[in-house]
Order: sequence, then C-alpha cells, then structure tokens
Amino acid sequence: MAAHAANAAHAHHGHKVKRYKGLMDWLTTVDHKKIGILYLLAGGLFFGVGGLEALLIRIQLIKPMNDFVGADTFNELITMHGTTMIFLGAMPMLFALMNAVIPLQIGARDVAFPFLNALGFWTFFFGGVLLNISWFAGNVPDAGWTSYVPLASPTYNSGHGVDYYVIGLQIAGIGTLLGGVNFMATIINMRAPGMSFMRMPMFTWTIFITSALIVFAFPVLTVGLVALMFDRLFQANFFETGSGGSAVLWEHVFWVFGHPEVYILILPAFGVISEVVSTFSRKRLFGYSSMVFATVLIAFLGFMVWAHHMFTTGLGPVANALFSIATMLIAVPTGVKIFNWLFTLWGGSIRFTTSSMFAIGFIPTFVMGGVTGVMLAVAPADYQYHDSYFVVAHFHYVIVGGLIFGIFAGLFYWWPKMFGRMLNEGLGKLTFWTFFAGFHLTFFVQHFLGLMGMPRRVWTYLPGQDFDTMNVISTIGAFLMGVGVIVFLINIFVTAAKPRNAKADAWEDGRSLEWSIPSPPPEYNFKQLPLVRNYDAWWRVKMDGQAEMPAAEPPGPIHMPSPSIMPLIMSIGLFIGGFGFMYDKLYLAIGGIGITLVCMLLRSVFDDHGFHIEEDEQEKGVHA
Amino acid sequence: MSDNHSSVSEGQSRHHKVEGPRKHIVAFVMSLALTLIAFAAVASGEINTQFTYIILVCMAIMQVFVQLAFWMHMKDRGHAFPIIGIAFGVIVVFTMVIMASYWVWW
Amino acid sequence: MSAHQHAEGLMSHEPEKVTMEGRNKILGFWLFLGAETVLFGTLFSAFVALRHNVGDGPKASELFELPTVFAATMILLFSSLMSVFAVQAMHRHQVKAMIGWLVATVVLGLGFLGLEITEFTTYVSEGHKMNTSAFSSSFYTLVGFHGAHVAFGVLWITLLILQILKKGLTVVTAPKIYVSAIYWHFIDVVWVFIFTVVYLMGKVAA
Repeated sequence: MAAHAANAAHAHHGHKVKRYKGLMDWLTTVDHKKIGILYLLAGGLFFGVGGLEALLIRIQLIKPMNDFVGADTFNELITMHGTTMIFLGAMPMLFALMNAVIPLQIGARDVAFPFLNALGFWTFFFGGVLLNISWFAGNVPDAGWTSYVPLASPTYNSGHGVDYYVIGLQIAGIGTLLGGVNFMATIINMRAPGMSFMRMPMFTWTIFITSALIVFAFPVLTVGLVALMFDRLFQANFFETGSGGSAVLWEHVFWVFGHPEVYILILPAFGVISEVVSTFSRKRLFGYSSMVFATVLIAFLGFMVWAHHMFTTGLGPVANALFSIATMLIAVPTGVKIFNWLFTLWGGSIRFTTSSMFAIGFIPTFVMGGVTGVMLAVAPADYQYHDSYFVVAHFHYVIVGGLIFGIFAGLFYWWPKMFGRMLNEGLGKLTFWTFFAGFHLTFFVQHFLGLMGMPRRVWTYLPGQDFDTMNVISTIGAFLMGVGVIVFLINIFVTAAKPRNAKADAWEDGRSLEWSIPSPPPEYNFKQLPLVRNYDAWWRVKMDGQAEMPAAEPPGPIHMPSPSIMPLIMSIGLFIGGFGFMYDKLYLAIGGIGITLVCMLLRSVFDDHGFHIEEDEQEKGVHA
Repeated sequence: MSDNHSSVSEGQSRHHKVEGPRKHIVAFVMSLALTLIAFAAVASGEINTQFTYIILVCMAIMQVFVQLAFWMHMKDRGHAFPIIGIAFGVIVVFTMVIMASYWVWW
Repeated sequence: MSAHQHAEGLMSHEPEKVTMEGRNKILGFWLFLGAETVLFGTLFSAFVALRHNVGDGPKASELFELPTVFAATMILLFSSLMSVFAVQAMHRHQVKAMIGWLVATVVLGLGFLGLEITEFTTYVSEGHKMNTSAFSSSFYTLVGFHGAHVAFGVLWITLLILQILKKGLTVVTAPKIYVSAIYWHFIDVVWVFIFTVVYLMGKVAA
C-alpha cells in the first residue's frame, strides 16, 4: 500500500512537468500544431529535393541525344523523384494540413494519441533521410518508384540501391500507418459535443476516409517490402522465378497498395478544395451529403481497381474487362464532386484570393487528368498508351494538378491559422500564375509526346521524330514551375518578417470551428469545448449575430500531455537498425531495434500523467 | 487499491451484470469442437480432397466468428467501428486471396 | 490510491473504458488490428500463390507432422481462454486471480513458442530452409511473422503483470490489460487460419 500512496502522490503533482524551450521544444513536442509545422518543414524539404531531381530530368530531355546525365544517373533520378515526391513530399504535406487543422475543425484539444503523432513524424523523417542518404552512399535506387522485380531483384540489382528504397520506405511507412490509426481514432472519438458525423466539415470527412485507406493499404506495402527485403538480404525466393517465385506477385502486391495510395493522395485535396470553394463563394457546400457519399464510394472502389496498372501484364480478357469497368465507375463519384464544386461556385459571391484561385484552377486541371484516366481505363487502348509519356502526363495532371494545387490552396488558406500571419497575396498570385502556366506547359505537350510514341523512363531520344520542340516547351514549363515555388519561398520569408497579426477569423468568411479560435490557437486550442448545433457551425453562429461559439463545458484547468524526447530516439533506433540490416552488421541491427524496444518499455512502465494548465495561465494566453 | 475500495466495487459489480465464465466456456468448447472436426477430416484421410477443403474453410470461418463475437467482445454494444474496421480489412484480404489463388497460382 | 484523481473510476464494472485515454486506446488498437488483418492477409496471399512451388525441397505433405500442429493449436486455444478469464477477473476487480490467469497465458504462450522453434529446427535439418524454394520462403515468413507476434505478446503481457504488481489495477493499467487480451485473441484467430490453410490444406494436397 505504501508504494501506491507514493504513486498517488506522484500523480497528484503530475502537472509539474519540465517544459522545454527553443530547439528542444521542437524535438520533444507532442502538440499537433507544432507537429504539423514539422511535417510542413520536412515535407517541404523533400519536395524541394524531388523538384530539383525533376529539373535535372527535364534538362536531360531538353534536346535529343543529350549527355547532361548518364543513363544510370537518369534511372536513379526518375526513381528518386517518384519515390520522394509521393512518400516524402506530398504525403507529409498532407499530414501537415491534417495535423494543423483536423483537431481544430472537430473542436478537440489534441489528437487521440499525441505521443504516437510525434513518433509518426519522426519515423517518417528518418525513413526519408535514410532513403536520401543513398545519394551520398553512391548506391541509389534505380528500379523505378514501383521497384518491379526482376529488375529490383538481387540478381539484376546487386548493389545496395534498392535496399535503401526498401528500408527507407519501410521505416517511413510505419510513421504513415501510425498517423492513419491516430487520425481515425481522433475523428471517431474526439469530436466536440454535438458534432455528429454528418456535421463534420468536408476536409475532416476526407481525412477520415484517407486515414482508413492508409490503415488498410499500407500493411500491404509493408509485406511487399518485407518480401523484397528477404529476397535481397536472406536469399528468399518470393520473386525469384528460377526458384518458383513469382514476379507478377510483386506487381499485384505493389498495386493493391499503390492504387489506394493514389486516393490517399487525392482525397485530402478534394477536402481542401471543398473548404476553400465554399468559403470563398460564401456559400454552403453544394450537395454535402452526396459529397460524403462520393468520398466513401471512391475509397471503396479504390481497392477494387489495382489491376488497371497491369493491363499489359497478361491477366486475360475477363480480368481486364472487369477492372476496366470498375475503373470507369470511379469517374461517377468523381464527377459528382466536380459538379458539386461548380454548383457551389454558381451564384456565390466569389473572392479571388490566391487560395481560391488554386482551387478554381484545380477543377479544370483535375478534370483533364480524370478524362485521360478514363481513356487509360480502356484496356485495349491502354496497350498503346502503356509506358509512354501519355501516362506520365496523366498522373502528373492528377497528382500535381490535383494534389499539389490542393496543397497550395490549403497552405494559403490555413497559413494564418498555422502561423498567425497572412501570406502576401500579390506574391501568392504570382506563384499561382507561374505555377499554373508552368504546369500546363510542362505536361500538356507530354500527352502528345506519348501518343507519338515517346517512351517513359528512357534517358534520351533520337532526333527527327518530332519530339524536339515539345520537349523544349516541357522543360521551359518545368522551370516556370520552379520559379513559382521560389516565389512561394520568398513569400514565406517576407511574411515571417511581418507582425503576427492575423485575426481569429482570418478570411472573415470562415465556416468551420478552426476560425472561431485565435490564430495561431493557444496550446490547448479551445478554452471551453464548443457546442456544435449544425453543419458550418461557426458560420451559423456568426449569422445569428454571436461573436463566440456556445460552450459545452464550464471553464477549468485543462489537462495536457507531457512533451517527450522518446519519439525521436525511437526513430533514430530504427534508422540505425536499418543500416545494420542493409550492411549486414548484426550488432547495429540488434542495437538499433534494441533502442526502439527499450523506449517502448520505458513508455509502458512510466505513466505519462501530463500536466494541467490552470485558468489564470489560460488568461495569459499560452501560444503555440 | 485499498480494501475499502474493493469492497465498494464488489458491491457495485453486483448491480452490474458481470458476465459469468459460462458463455466463454461454451465458446471455448465450440472452438475446440471445430478444431477437432478440421483435424479429424484431414487425419482420417477418407474424405476426398475437394470436400476436405470445403470442410476446413467452413470450420475456420465459424471458429473465427465464435472467437470474434465472444472473446473479442464484438457482439457487445459500442463495437460498430471495430466491426467496420475488421470487416473492411477482411474485404481487402478477400480480394487479395482471390487474386493470389487465381492469377498468380495458375 | 484514494488520492488518485481517477480513483472513483475503479468502481466501474469496466475500468478500461472509464477514461477518454482508455477508450481511445481500445478503439485505436482495434483499428491497428484492422491493419494487422490486411498484413496477415497479404502474407497468406503470397503463401497461397507460392505454396506449390517447392522446387527441389520437400513438399508440404511430406514435411508437416499433424500431432505437433495439433498440440500447438491446443496450447494457443487454451492460452486464449486463460486470457478471457483474466479480463473477467479484472471486471470483478479480483487482481490476484487476474494475475494468475495472465501468468497461465504467458506460460502457454512460451510453450507454443518452444514447440514452434523445435518444429522449425526439424524442418531446417530436413532441408527446408528459407532459401530452399518459394514455398519455404513464404512459409517461414507467414508462420514466422505469427511466431514473432506471439513472442511480442509474451513479452508484453509479462511486462503488464509486473506493472500490475507494482501499480495495482487502475484506470491506467486496466485498458492495457484489456487491449493485450484482444491482441492475444487476434493472434489465436490468425493461427486458426494458419493451421487450416498452411498445415491441414498442405497435408491434404497431393
């Protein structure tokens, strides 16, 4: 009993937790708003690396028989560009928006698992670092972002290049999976009183569905990577056809993960566009419930169409026909969404801010990507398009024209909520026009290059095939996009020098709960949890002439989780262990994994009692 | 835990309907029976292969339902999301097993 | 204990669901199990696709010994039952009984692991190694992943027993016990498919 008494006493004074400042604050934070900023920084960094790789690819292709980079380097560039952009650039920036916005939109003080949230960020970061160290180690993955076997098998790829791909993505994947579980649990359990599922903002809905896709798709990639790793490190025979393995199995496993991954990327962009279009049209989102239904349907169908990436593998006419039809079906809910956005804009009093320009630019661009998608879904025609620049044009229209436009729209829209400062609109519009024009210059011509027969993933081409002019145009466009990104970076620095004076409802037309609290919000988000009575809760409250959300609870001390350095150490452990596996150093592998396990043990044994922010401290306004 | 508390909680628990071990033992016996049928079907060696497969799959699915419902409390209230979660996982797995046994195997 | 801020929660019939943290933990763990379902499903798919490709190595029907598999199955089933009793004891706040059932769970789990290790060593000595054939690779990966889950569960539940001894049954420790029990049942459920698909079907196939 004595031990219990001591324990209880400890618990009682649990709120005296050491609080860090400066760098240590960022390394130990479990606050979703700060983790969102970390995701943005790291994702932005990798996005820049991927962008540089893209520019090198375009320089190489500017003229026929160019020798700017060698064929080997070109293979490495396309592999790392694809992998970096999807796993380390686009997804983390989505996670940045998720972290920054979701708890605020559902009226919660934090996510369900703040510690896991930090762990997810750090594992993603160290996975990404490990992957990119390959450039310095001189062994760069070069089997394409799909890493098809037998090209990626130990027989044809004997260096450590693909090992970096396998282990880097494995570690980063753990972080993504944790994020998915965390946000699903957060949205299910932590919504403010009165916020039923059908009162959730559209962005929250899309993140909920995206998280579900992450939870069910990423384990497939995990197993695929484990199998490839065993083949490469322990001479297993999953994909070794000589010993009874199957190369087609890898294609299936990769795309059963890979196709949902495409929807993991695009659904959050749909959510952002829904919020932005509705806010800047000053109208309720048209067809909210059909929007929700379309999102769920897209996610469900997203799991049933993976084989349309494999039409030319030879699955037979029946399979090709079925997957062809299933793929075309997805156009229906997607079309519902497009029309809902158009009808939201229709008759609205539209404000052309940078954010809404990106959203409005998104709509026709994404429709073009969607239409080429339906073209590619026609299996017989796909035999012609397959592995040509037509495919490259298609997926850049949906990923850049869809997702990246969506991310830009979201960043301009929520920047004041994340940082307390409005981005400069003039520079923002310059970013939009250069990026938008550059994007279409780069990729529109690639449709025709593809139809004329230019194959993707080949490092150069012969003169006299009418490829020359269009490749020059494409490269010019790529540099224009680069200019747009640089203007955006300048915008960030210019804005950072300005005073932190964004209003709570920064755009004055905010509709959801995040605009009812200060920009940036205090550490605890909501002093009193809000009471939600309808969809667009904050807008309705404003229309009723009130200045604040009605409270669902009396004010009182607020319980917060303690900061912890352990997520960082656990991720470093995995990072070290990864190198141990790759270079056959057993002591490193065991030591690295051991560090992670010991941290898990400590986390389980020592309870985190957190601390309380008392009411007088709340008055002082503890800012994030 | 002080004695005071545990006595209070014992008293409280009498008001609640604390589930007895009975239905868990029933679930156990069912699992045991299903397992035995599966092993017996194989060990006897008298049933043809195709039919054995059918028996095995049926027994496995039934046992999983028994365990999910009783031991993992899925039949209790408030388990909507666990059911949705596992069900969706099963759908994904189902398509994958079809894929594996149909396109890769043959 | 009385000074503990959540002490009143202990009177609840289900102490694991008293706090928001507890409810989050249980829900989050279920979602994680959804992910685990897909993980094992993918391993099963790979195994189903590759199981006949034995190359020069032994076939499933030559390799597997039904008595060993049956013993392992029984051990795991009993272990799962022990863990059910542990959660029931927890709901009645009988801490000592709960610890007893948990110890039984762990001991049976160790028995299972011992059996599996012996089985694997026998197979290796019979020329059925990781790199023998596609069948052997997918077999060791699938069954080995399950074994690793059992090993992790054994370590985890042991750690929880020690925590209960030190901290007692509180609203912080109760969700951990509950969640570990769900995990343990899940491992048993996966084993149901392993003994069906891998061993019994392997034994029947010509």
